[in-house]
Amino acid sequence: MALIRIDDREIEAPAGENLLRVALKNGIAIPFFCYHPALSVVGQCRMCLVKVEGAPKLLPACSTLVAELPEDKKFEGKYDMVVETASEEVKQAQRGVLELQLINHPLDCPICDQAGECMLQEYAYEYGDSSSRMEFEKVHSPKRVDFGPHIVFDSERCIKCTRCIRFCREITKTNELTMAHRGVWNEIQLFHDRKLDNPYSLCTADLCPVGALTSKEFRFKERVWFLASANSVCPECSRGCSARYDTYRGEILRLVPIDNPKVNGPWMCDYGRLLTERIKGIERLDMPAFRRGSSLERHPWPAFAGKFLEKLSFYRKDFKKTLAVILSGRMTLEELIAYETLSEALFSDVSGTAPNVTRGEDDDLLIRKEKRPNLEGARRLGIAVSEENAAVADLLKGKKTALIVREDPLGDVEDEEAKAALEKALTGLDLLIVADDALTETAKLAHVVIPLPAWHEMEGTTVNFLGTLQKTARVLIPPRNRKPFYEAASLLLQAEGVEAPGGSFGPWFSKVKERIPELSELRVRDLLPHGVRLAGGDESASGGEA
Amino acid sequence: MAELLQFLTKNVGVSNSTHVDTYMGNGGYEPMMKALHKMKPEAVLNEVKASNLKGRGGAGFPAGLKWSFLPKEKKRIRYLVCNADESEPGTFKDRLLIENDPHLVLEGIIIAGWATQAKGCFFYIRGEMPQGARIFRKAVDQAYNKGFLGKNILGSGFDFDVWVVRGAGAYICGEETALMNSVEGKRGEPRLKPPFPAGYGVYGEASNINNVETYANIPYIIEKGADWYKSIGSAGSPGPRLFGVSGHVKRPGVYELPGDVTVREVIFKHAGGILGDRELKAVIPGGSSTPVLRSDQIDVPMDPDGLGSVGSMSGSAGVIVMNDTVCMVKAAVNLAHFYTHESCGQCTPCREGTHWLLDLLTRIESGEGKPGDPDLILQICDNIQARTICPLGDACAMPVRSFVQQFREEFEEHIRAGRCPLHAVEMTTVI
Repeated sequence: MALIRIDDREIEAPAGENLLRVALKNGIAIPFFCYHPALSVVGQCRMCLVKVEGAPKLLPACSTLVAELPEDKKFEGKYDMVVETASEEVKQAQRGVLELQLINHPLDCPICDQAGECMLQEYAYEYGDSSSRMEFEKVHSPKRVDFGPHIVFDSERCIKCTRCIRFCREITKTNELTMAHRGVWNEIQLFHDRKLDNPYSLCTADLCPVGALTSKEFRFKERVWFLASANSVCPECSRGCSARYDTYRGEILRLVPIDNPKVNGPWMCDYGRLLTERIKGIERLDMPAFRRGSSLERHPWPAFAGKFLEKLSFYRKDFKKTLAVILSGRMTLEELIAYETLSEALFSDVSGTAPNVTRGEDDDLLIRKEKRPNLEGARRLGIAVSEENAAVADLLKGKKTALIVREDPLGDVEDEEAKAALEKALTGLDLLIVADDALTETAKLAHVVIPLPAWHEMEGTTVNFLGTLQKTARVLIPPRNRKPFYEAASLLLQAEGVEAPGGSFGPWFSKVKERIPELSELRVRDLLPHGVRLAGGDESASGGEA
Repeated sequence: MAELLQFLTKNVGVSNSTHVDTYMGNGGYEPMMKALHKMKPEAVLNEVKASNLKGRGGAGFPAGLKWSFLPKEKKRIRYLVCNADESEPGTFKDRLLIENDPHLVLEGIIIAGWATQAKGCFFYIRGEMPQGARIFRKAVDQAYNKGFLGKNILGSGFDFDVWVVRGAGAYICGEETALMNSVEGKRGEPRLKPPFPAGYGVYGEASNINNVETYANIPYIIEKGADWYKSIGSAGSPGPRLFGVSGHVKRPGVYELPGDVTVREVIFKHAGGILGDRELKAVIPGGSSTPVLRSDQIDVPMDPDGLGSVGSMSGSAGVIVMNDTVCMVKAAVNLAHFYTHESCGQCTPCREGTHWLLDLLTRIESGEGKPGDPDLILQICDNIQARTICPLGDACAMPVRSFVQQFREEFEEHIRAGRCPLHAVEMTTVI
């Protein structure tokens, strides 16, 4: 351990540690552009210059390592390093670098998507001068360059920090980008015949400290200061990346990864983020309904509960033999527990099976082939999990009634023949109950449809493949008849005259804690911001740290 | 008075001087044989250290000391690099050696290889010197044929190779780490230091890099000894040194002189004085990156102490002489243009600052300067100098600053008059 002094603070830090990291960790603000904790250090933006006692000139904090000195060489008899981050000399250097950074910058903040979350803008306000001494035509370079399916590049806004180049070189190892030309004409370019189309390309827009790389999907949608955000979990695979959902007036405009060393590091895949685009076309359910011929007979909660039990009464006595229950890794732990409670009272204790839906292969960064975010949670609750992509038709064999929650087996089957067989099995049922957040192909065949909120419309907990327990958030508020499965279960139980924990998240989470002893001491706030790694998870697997 | 020396330039002008037989007929490769057969590597290293040979590329770092930074472990791979990317405006001494006496350089490299127990040497030659590359390649082939390169050189058990690598036209690749990136086929951008080349150089191996002229001194140090070497020149700049004199002199060219010759002697005694017998106005003493001197500052020796006393340095010893017809603003524009064009652009201050300086200087030169411009130039120089990864930023800021400081009157006259006063004079004389 070395004892260093930064300004007037004494800090202990291990020798060899990056000085900038030490300062930031201790809440000392040093401005920087090109440094990123997950990327290699290049020290080229020169924004983080600080005065280090004994060095002949200012040093970039990002490439200066904490060093230990022999006893007799220590500064003032005790410090291994004495650093100034706010002296007049340092401030002058920061002003100088910032001025140079801005002279050829277009200063088009009013129409720039990055405005409000732009490091250059922040620093210009914090460290820069309010007027410009630059009186010449700025250097012009290409604008609106189509880099790939999701990324647009504006070279004039670019400050040449090379974070995006290093990301493609070091993290995805796809090497699409390079620096071309020289000096003030430097320009980030795609290699010949390449597109920035790796599965993580939108990370470059996150990494870009300015508005040079922007997301095609998000650009020009909304000023960032008008966004309402909530931290939650991405539902698109068993990684369950921590993500911030940015919304505006009831619409999710983008997903941004939260740097979570336990799960995804600072990255997130494009597929997960583009949830924003896929949910646009989804036909949602907003009222429980019974099928009457070709039309739906809709009944709001709680009136629906009585009618549903009435309908159920015709089939209940045979459930033990005739009922098939398909649950899902898209259900939160609370919803899964709710089915258990419900099955005791209503479904003759028939246990459910969660299908393991897979697509593609695992990659070596984040993407998992298992596509259900909480499948590991289902396993931990002792719920049977089917083989990979096992045919749901087999589960329905010999059954006359079925309850399917948050799964769309018909929509997920790709093979034509299997699809026809499944459709036949489903239409042959006497009673098909589907509870889901959308009018899926399966739901279209159902006799009873129960609407559920989407993943981003409810609170819950979920366990990813590493065994990390995370909390999802109610990013958007669903219409009142779209109730989480645990709330729907409560209402049904009440109608049946059975005592139920009620319709809110807390009591159901307590039931989860009872079932998983490890969690008994856990409070909800312990799950923030990065979740809790449960025992028995895959310890060897990394959380996406580079 | 310093007389011309005949060591480094001994074979210049000799017929067929680039051939190995000519070189050997004149005593060549004997120092190498002496080193390989009679001296241990440490003894060679100590001799070079004792000679206090200063690097001739511009920074003047002691060569022997630099060699001693290489790791000594037997299993480590060590590379030498010869920096023949001579592209500093006003500097053309290495080209003379490469094109006229390649074996002298090669012999120095082999001796250095023996001293440092290196695996081989990358000879990185400027892309715009195709003839030099051709000549040097031929010299390397001849040395292989003679058994001076390759496996088990002259039965000493020492293996050593030389690979000639041509640059692709970037001044920045003369910076040691940018050169190494270029050798590896990467973009020529200087690396962040530490790690220094001695620990992490070409292809990540321990490397030592010296200038062409530095290597050319080695055979003489081995042949005649460190004491002889130190008897030439001054303590700050021992040994013979090549001065490339260009500009407004009667006899421009490369002159081999002791390191402590005065600027005045170089210009007036050896280079024949000012062209057209006009007045001397300014001298850049050590290549375009060094601060400019006024005509009343030239009575100093061209060693670090002497030039240091007038705020400049000996750099690469490229002496650029300017007479009284030269507009100093225009000269500064020329310099700034070069550095703007050659900045690699990775560090903000150099990338943006050099271009801004060029804009400001051009504005003054074209008669549209504003009264605050000279001060703004100095402030921009402050923001560039000592703020970048490599010395290219300094190399632009230092001379530009010195032009403004030494000839401020002339800059202000441009701004006041709205035109170049000198060019007006020329015009009237022509009419």
